[in-house]
Amino acid sequence: MTISEMNFFQRMLYILQDYGGSLLAGAATTMAIALICTFLGCVIGFAVGLIQTTEPHKKDGAVKRGVLRVVKLILTAYVEVFRGTPMMLQAAFIYYGMSSVFGINLGMWSAAIIIVSVNTGAYMAETVRGGILSVDPGQREGARAIGMSHMQTMVYIVLPQALRNIMPQIGNNLIINIKDTCVLSIIGTVELFFTFRSISGALYTYFEAASVTMIIYFILTFTCSRILRAIESRMDGPANFDLATNDTLAFTSGLTKYNDKTGGMH
Amino acid sequence: MAGIIKVEHLAKTFGTNEVLKDIDFSVSSGDVISIIGSSGSGKSTLLRCINLLEEATSGKILFHDKDVLAGAINEDEYRTKVGMVFQSFNLFNNLSVLDNCMIGQVKVLKRGKEEAEKNAMEYLAKVGMAQYIKAKPRQLSGGQKQRVAIARALAMNPEVLLFDEPTSALDPEMVGEVLDVMKILAESGMTMLVVTHEMAFARDVSNRVIYMADGRIEEEGSPEDIFSNPRSPKTKEFLSRFRGEKE
Ligand SMILES: Nc1ncnc2c1ncn2[C@@H]1O[C@H](COP(=O)(O)OP(=O)(O)OP(=O)(O)O)[C@@H](O)[C@H]1O
Ligand SMILES: [Mg+2]
Repeated sequence: MTISEMNFFQRMLYILQDYGGSLLAGAATTMAIALICTFLGCVIGFAVGLIQTTEPHKKDGAVKRGVLRVVKLILTAYVEVFRGTPMMLQAAFIYYGMSSVFGINLGMWSAAIIIVSVNTGAYMAETVRGGILSVDPGQREGARAIGMSHMQTMVYIVLPQALRNIMPQIGNNLIINIKDTCVLSIIGTVELFFTFRSISGALYTYFEAASVTMIIYFILTFTCSRILRAIESRMDGPANFDLATNDTLAFTSGLTKYNDKTGGMH
Repeated sequence: MAGIIKVEHLAKTFGTNEVLKDIDFSVSSGDVISIIGSSGSGKSTLLRCINLLEEATSGKILFHDKDVLAGAINEDEYRTKVGMVFQSFNLFNNLSVLDNCMIGQVKVLKRGKEEAEKNAMEYLAKVGMAQYIKAKPRQLSGGQKQRVAIARALAMNPEVLLFDEPTSALDPEMVGEVLDVMKILAESGMTMLVVTHEMAFARDVSNRVIYMADGRIEEEGSPEDIFSNPRSPKTKEFLSRFRGEKE
């Protein structure tokens, strides 16, 4: 039976049989890029967001204030430019720009990772800034009042709460990245979308190839969104807490028991 | 008694708004000073200036004769010795009750985990919250939160504890449990500076009362002086208005 004689499902099956391996490899590349770049994007976003929300100390001199202002200006420009232009063009710009202007030939992987991370970082910077500002200022005062430095206050108190607040947006970014890595096919990255184009180009079965690839994309994004939900509720901890017993032995061994007379939520 | 904090000619302006004017007073070891006064008289601002959460415009704060505002003592180190309890608790929402009471000891005072935990447990027991070490702040009632906040401040073993209306954000039935803890603290010799609208606490627990009006210390004296024979007409009016409101 030739491809043209098959029905829709037979064609999908045929694609899976013949190209299952390449689809899997493409999906793996897509996931790897999305995960690595979302992580790096978060690191960039936290660094930029942290600087953007830093206010100069009262006692800081003019030089320190000036430097902070210039750095903030540069970071704002970065955020606006990368949010304000299509990632596909950024990819072409960086990849081809590097080789033609500087003679640097970025490998496929490093080009892909740089582009998506830097792009995600621009979005995350704004998200992190909002996340930090959304933490009650009383939290900072409570920390300062027991002598924590600005750095300690941020690391132990403000950022963990900001991170929790922005978890849904981090998840959003991961899902966007899974889908948007398809623009990397412009620089020849063999990810899932690139694989789709090869298959449909070889077999002329656009509809079936698109269906199979869409299903794979959906499985990837749906799984990720479920996993992220689970991580969020883990971060929240249990809805109820156990009362510690007054038994000192039990306390030192870390044993606690629930006291149903007084326990539970208030 | 040894002087701990001396405030001299302290002033604070927000823009053109003079909130504190020429504040002078001192806190000695074992003092329990209540600061009373009507809303907007600058009580919170005074505490926040002492704790360096606000920067005083002029004047001096001396801590054991060291000029704090001139930088004679490290700001963060000073804060570990002058604890603060807030009206809105400000417990760390991301940490359990026990961690709230340990983090300052471990990260700021560099105490070992075991020592910090032992110390935290001692103060949590003192405020009656030892059973709740695993809870997160959002799982506690207002009164419980404030008692943990007091334990958190005490765990740093400060020399002075500042309280800014610690019971004002609480439902009436929870005010008592927090005041009881504060009373026990006062009796144990803790040096305390308490901004409060609880006149009974000011009268019965403190050894000195400061009445503030329009950013100034209008009158200062023993509880008997202030409540039985107030000299200033403003103090008299404030107290009578207060009694009127209460009864
Ligand atoms: N950050 C600020 N910026 C500008 N003005 C402020 C600021 N904080 C306080 N003020 C002003 O300072 C004055 C004193 O405020 P403060 O909070 O110290 O009063 P208070 O005596 O604590 O009153 P309350 O009993 O209501 O708590 C008020 O007029 C207030 O508007
Ligand atoms: Mg106040």
